[in-house]
Amino acid sequence: MWTYIARRAIQASFTLLIITVLCFILTRFGSADPMAQYANNPNMSAADKEALRERLGLNAPLPVQYFKWLGLALQGDLGISFFSKQPVGEMIAQRLPNTVILMFTTEIVTVSIALLLGIISAVKQYSATDNVITAFSFIGFSMPIFFSALGLMLIFAVKFKEWGLPYMPTGADVWDKKDPLEYIQHMVLPVSALVIVQVAGYARFVRSSLLEVLGLDYIRTARAKGLTSRVVLFKHALRNAALPLVTIVGLDIPFLLGGAIVTESVFAWPGMGRLFWEYAQRGDFPVVLGVLLIISTAVVIFTIITDVLYTLVDPRIQFT
Amino acid sequence: MKKNLYFLLSLLVLASVILAACGTPATEAPAPATEAPATEVPATEAPVMGPAGTEPIAFPDGGKTVTGAWSQEPDNIVPYYSQMSYAVWIAQLTLVGLGEWDADGNFVPELAVDVPTADNGGVSADGLTITWQLKEGLYWSDGEPLTSADVKFTWESVMDPANAVLSRTGYDKIASVETPDDYTVVITFSELYPAWQTLFTQGPNNAGSILPKHILEGQTGLESNAFIHQPNVGSGPFVITEWVPGDYMTLLPNPNFYAGRAKLDQVQIKFVPDPETALAALQTGDVDWYPDFSESDIETVGALEPAVHLLVVPGASFEHYFFNMGTVEGVDGQGKSDVDGFCPFKDIKVRKAITLGINRQAFVDSLLAGKTSVPATQWPNSGWTNTSLQPDAYDPDGAAALLEEAGYTLGADGIRHGDCNGTDTKLSFNFETTTKQIRVDIALAVQSDLAKIGVEFKPIHTPAGTFFGSYADGANMPLGKFDMAGYTTGFYPDPFSDNFFCSQIPNAENGAGNNNYHLCDPALDELLTAVNASADPAVRKTALDAAQKYIYDNYYVVMAYARANVLGYVDRIEMGDMSDYSNRNWNAEAWNVK
Repeated sequence: MWTYIARRAIQASFTLLIITVLCFILTRFGSADPMAQYANNPNMSAADKEALRERLGLNAPLPVQYFKWLGLALQGDLGISFFSKQPVGEMIAQRLPNTVILMFTTEIVTVSIALLLGIISAVKQYSATDNVITAFSFIGFSMPIFFSALGLMLIFAVKFKEWGLPYMPTGADVWDKKDPLEYIQHMVLPVSALVIVQVAGYARFVRSSLLEVLGLDYIRTARAKGLTSRVVLFKHALRNAALPLVTIVGLDIPFLLGGAIVTESVFAWPGMGRLFWEYAQRGDFPVVLGVLLIISTAVVIFTIITDVLYTLVDPRIQFT
Repeated sequence: MKKNLYFLLSLLVLASVILAACGTPATEAPAPATEAPATEVPATEAPVMGPAGTEPIAFPDGGKTVTGAWSQEPDNIVPYYSQMSYAVWIAQLTLVGLGEWDADGNFVPELAVDVPTADNGGVSADGLTITWQLKEGLYWSDGEPLTSADVKFTWESVMDPANAVLSRTGYDKIASVETPDDYTVVITFSELYPAWQTLFTQGPNNAGSILPKHILEGQTGLESNAFIHQPNVGSGPFVITEWVPGDYMTLLPNPNFYAGRAKLDQVQIKFVPDPETALAALQTGDVDWYPDFSESDIETVGALEPAVHLLVVPGASFEHYFFNMGTVEGVDGQGKSDVDGFCPFKDIKVRKAITLGINRQAFVDSLLAGKTSVPATQWPNSGWTNTSLQPDAYDPDGAAALLEEAGYTLGADGIRHGDCNGTDTKLSFNFETTTKQIRVDIALAVQSDLAKIGVEFKPIHTPAGTFFGSYADGANMPLGKFDMAGYTTGFYPDPFSDNFFCSQIPNAENGAGNNNYHLCDPALDELLTAVNASADPAVRKTALDAAQKYIYDNYYVVMAYARANVLGYVDRIEMGDMSDYSNRNWNAEAWNVK
């Protein structure tokens, strides 16, 4: 196993190197020009603008800029933000915990609900319950996230207050992040908005995976042995049906670190998604690259972890 | 497995119960966050004998607190190192200057006793020496004296090449700053600098906070200094005591503020990027004010009266449409553009017809709820406005007649065409601007108006980052590759701008030029140069009036509307006179709650 992991790690470092080149090129050509915001500043002369461009290192040839950035990144230094002048690593560290808490809670709630809905749908295939679950999960799935987010806020914050009911916070208030109750209160709406959109995909996956397994011979054998449907379902069917779910969840986890740009913006959640979005708009290359590097590193690492885990939960898979 | 399922189900039930139970009770007030100990400090008058304290005044139980929501977070607080309006707003709360502009645009003293004038001896006869007199008994929030030495240090710090300030404009024209005593600052310029009022002062488009010498002396590379990012000692009505990046900021009263302790006990600023959230939060009372609504929100916010009040403040900046006047030949060998602008625009009759053919008041009334106005010139809503000029009224018949006169007749497709420098040219041209919704809406209205006089106006909406790109980036405006364009700018508080100068036309030799009009008119150069020939505001006003009239008479730009600042605030707070956009926190010490 260790040889396998070592080999994957070496492969991964090459992958990461290629990713950094791609990210660098995409950032330079796909993101805003950091100098654009100064274009109409009446107090800045042409010389001021040129001096700033030089200070930000934008005058150096692109390969020089890239290797300079890579050299520092390899030493764990993600550089300094063009605008806030704060170390990018620090800026990410400040926001990462909020994103991790929000996104992992969402993932846990989503997977739990999806398992429940998926199992019910599969067991009661084509029943009214299955149809209702399918219909509602697809409505959620097709809703743009800003719509579900603002819709929930309008109902559970604005309207509930108007109706004199206990109401949820909008997220625009100043609240104490050290108070667990306040934290949970403020997570309810963003988590719900994300779950509504995400749950359908997982639920459908569990449903089809379970249906496939339920049709296999060994399930018939288990039933023939006289086992109760519950034992057949949970002990024999679900265990195998859930295997592909491990891969999906494993591959989703690193993307969770990127946060949710729209949800974080709507609920004023100080996370990675907003950090990325707000600084990308201004062309703050060090911040954008820093966030992309963290996410891509996580993707690569979690791919390996997922593969290793998969072999552990499914004895049929061997390391080669 | 069965056990696992039950465990999973129990978890789900538990989660549902928690989710259901954690709604905010309707009466619960937000818990005020404070870092300082809760000891009450009595309100003080302006200190004379000594500092009233050495720390920000702690938030008392049941104190008066307000929460504002801002759409962006400042990057740095000291404005020499930031160009964000949000940085200027926080600086107005925390680090003030020698003077500022009030809600009516008057230049008023802040740390100074009075603003320098020729009459009080503050401005020398040759305009090269400006003498400021500081108030006596000024202290920083940490109790250290604030003196003329701090002003001199501020200048030295800005000019120090080891500090990467964004701009040294104006400060680089100062030959010396003398401090004969603790209260007197004598600034001598190496050449006439008519915009001296913008140095060491707080205002829209400029922010000259005075920096604390006792904290920053001997340090360089200030752009990365913790104080620049988050000053913990200040001279404004408040001091930042807590800043959670990406989340919120807490400010407590400065015990030593020159005008006395602020009326509020605490101000919190929450960073809320989405205006829809801010709107919801105003309705639930999660926030008390939001200054970042756009003009297209006027109706939505106005509909929330009486719980949420709408405040629209027309400012000195303006949305304008302009013609690409560029020529490859230039004028007398200067002001050459890389490409020629749209030929018919060289004819004043065409420019005037387009101005008369757009019903500007109609879109101000419909899209902006009539809350702002069509300005006559590029110096609206300020003491610099040439009040003798009035915007032209909508006159489609007059516009059509002018186009006929200019030789443009209606074609079979309903679009006029005519001879322009020997080429049959259709009056069909592109108009470039950003993707902002109000710009899209107005461009559609303009398109419809101009179609009525046989002019085809084709809007192109480009993301702001690309639209405002530089010459080096190949952006259309500096390269002159556009017919007509539109955006917002403003020349205030100092009225001078070199945006019209021949020498500022961007071209291969001068990529950084800022004359996006690509207009080279030596007569206008001369008129605008006269604005900067004196340090006396009265003389400058006369010169500027003439320049405004010249631009107005030549129809070089189509003034669309004075940009309005749209605020929403809840009934319980009183924010007093709100000033123009960048200057709106000028009187934060007077903010209060009912």
